[in-house]
Amino acid sequence: MGDNSHQQIPLREGFWTSGAPDSGPRLIGSRCTQCGEVYFPKKPKGWCVHCQQQTLEEILLSPRGRISAVTVVRQPPAGGFYHGPVPYAYGLVDLPDGLRLVSQITADNLEAVPVGAEAELVIRPLYQNSEGREVLTFMFTPVA
Amino acid sequence: MKNLKEMREVFVAGIGLTKWGVYEDQECYDFGSEAIFKALADAGMGWTEVQAAFCGSVYQGTASGHQAIKEVGLTGIPVVNVENACSSGGSSLRLAYLMVAAEIYDVVIALGMEKMPRGPIPSTAFRPWELASGFNIQVGNYALETVEYMKETGVTEEDLARVTVKNRKNGAMNPNARFQKPVSLEEVMGSRMVAEPLRLLHCCPLADGAAAAVLCGKDKLKSLSRGIKVAASALTSGVYGDGMPAAGIVNSLKYPPEVGILELSAQQAYEASGYGPEDIDIVQGYDTTVPSELWGMEKLGFCNKGEAAGLLRDGKFDLDGELPVNTDGGLMSRGHPLGATGLGQICELVTQLRNEAGARQVKKARVGLAHAMGAGPNSSITILTR
Repeated sequence: MGDNSHQQIPLREGFWTSGAPDSGPRLIGSRCTQCGEVYFPKKPKGWCVHCQQQTLEEILLSPRGRISAVTVVRQPPAGGFYHGPVPYAYGLVDLPDGLRLVSQITADNLEAVPVGAEAELVIRPLYQNSEGREVLTFMFTPVA
Repeated sequence: MKNLKEMREVFVAGIGLTKWGVYEDQECYDFGSEAIFKALADAGMGWTEVQAAFCGSVYQGTASGHQAIKEVGLTGIPVVNVENACSSGGSSLRLAYLMVAAEIYDVVIALGMEKMPRGPIPSTAFRPWELASGFNIQVGNYALETVEYMKETGVTEEDLARVTVKNRKNGAMNPNARFQKPVSLEEVMGSRMVAEPLRLLHCCPLADGAAAAVLCGKDKLKSLSRGIKVAASALTSGVYGDGMPAAGIVNSLKYPPEVGILELSAQQAYEASGYGPEDIDIVQGYDTTVPSELWGMEKLGFCNKGEAAGLLRDGKFDLDGELPVNTDGGLMSRGHPLGATGLGQICELVTQLRNEAGARQVKKARVGLAHAMGAGPNSSITILTR
């Protein structure tokens, strides 16, 4: 097997756009043209689960938000689905588009991430898969 | 839709509970069948009187209820398996209750059983990318809710620890609990951190075990005095916009619900039973992690938001308090065999309402309420009265 470590793949296609060279990545979500509800990730069939109409359009979400809750997990989750580092931090992030999402939180000191902190979207490696490729995912990181 | 108040009254005729613990040498059908035999003996009934069976479990695989019933005896009755996450037991009870209330059957058994996988509770009620992202750790998900709850109410880590201390004290008097040893506040506060702010002793232990209840119409009761009436059995499976990280659901910021899942299930149970929070004498709450017992008491309408920790400190929820909560030690002492938990709560309420709880018997127990919730999301509430 060759060295694939320079090859990076996203955790899932269609979660974010890398954006123009002078701007950062953006998450891809859905917004209902009828009721305005916003979702992440994008709902592929376009059905709004708030108003039950097939009225969703694709939108790019704000790359900045506010951390409304965060925890540091110190034991691996069950089931063998998670291959990232432990401990890891994850939390609830509120975006100005009007939605809350669950995201891993990355920071130099995970224990010092304050609730209420402004945070911005980053794309980071989560783990190396069995073929040696780096699997990337979205995270939020506090901004000073 | 039919009004349950106008339908036949339903009674718990008998209960069967196994000692919960870790059983490497037994499978779910071993203790599942044991719970059924115990419930039949308690009801004074024979197996051939039972006309249908609803069997709750989460991790036991294909037709697991049938595997337990095979060890009791196949009699041609319908057996239906119920997987509703942590509300599986409560959901089986509800189906049995509805069948008797609607006079489809006269005698029905509800079974809950589980041999738990080892380690943290595994839930696959998430999307694959969420599982790969580490979002299926239930202690972490309850931690996120706890962070928000503590921020909104001023509840402290010590307040959380007091729930553990109370429940483990009660559990020391429950011969069927997995853990029968009290713990001190210092032990809880000194236990290892699992997911800030939740420590190991803020989280319920797992356990293998089973619980069963025989339900019937009044005319089928062998002992009128030991029959406990089902006043309500409510199940709510999620409302739009009410976030529950443990169920992979975030709040809607644009459309927050007028009434959350737990509050709605409580409204339905109070409405169906004709009782209100002020009529309840004893509660089996949902302490999968200890903060959920506190906010559960608030959402069930026993006090306002942020008041439960103070009432706990004042002793209101103690065994000899005004409103004893988790008299058998709760999930913190019993352990949490997911499919059995809801029916384990029913066994304790019935025991207390019959005045048969021995050392942990509460003084005044006429109306009891049990609440379980979890992934799905589901929130199930049962109100029993003697």
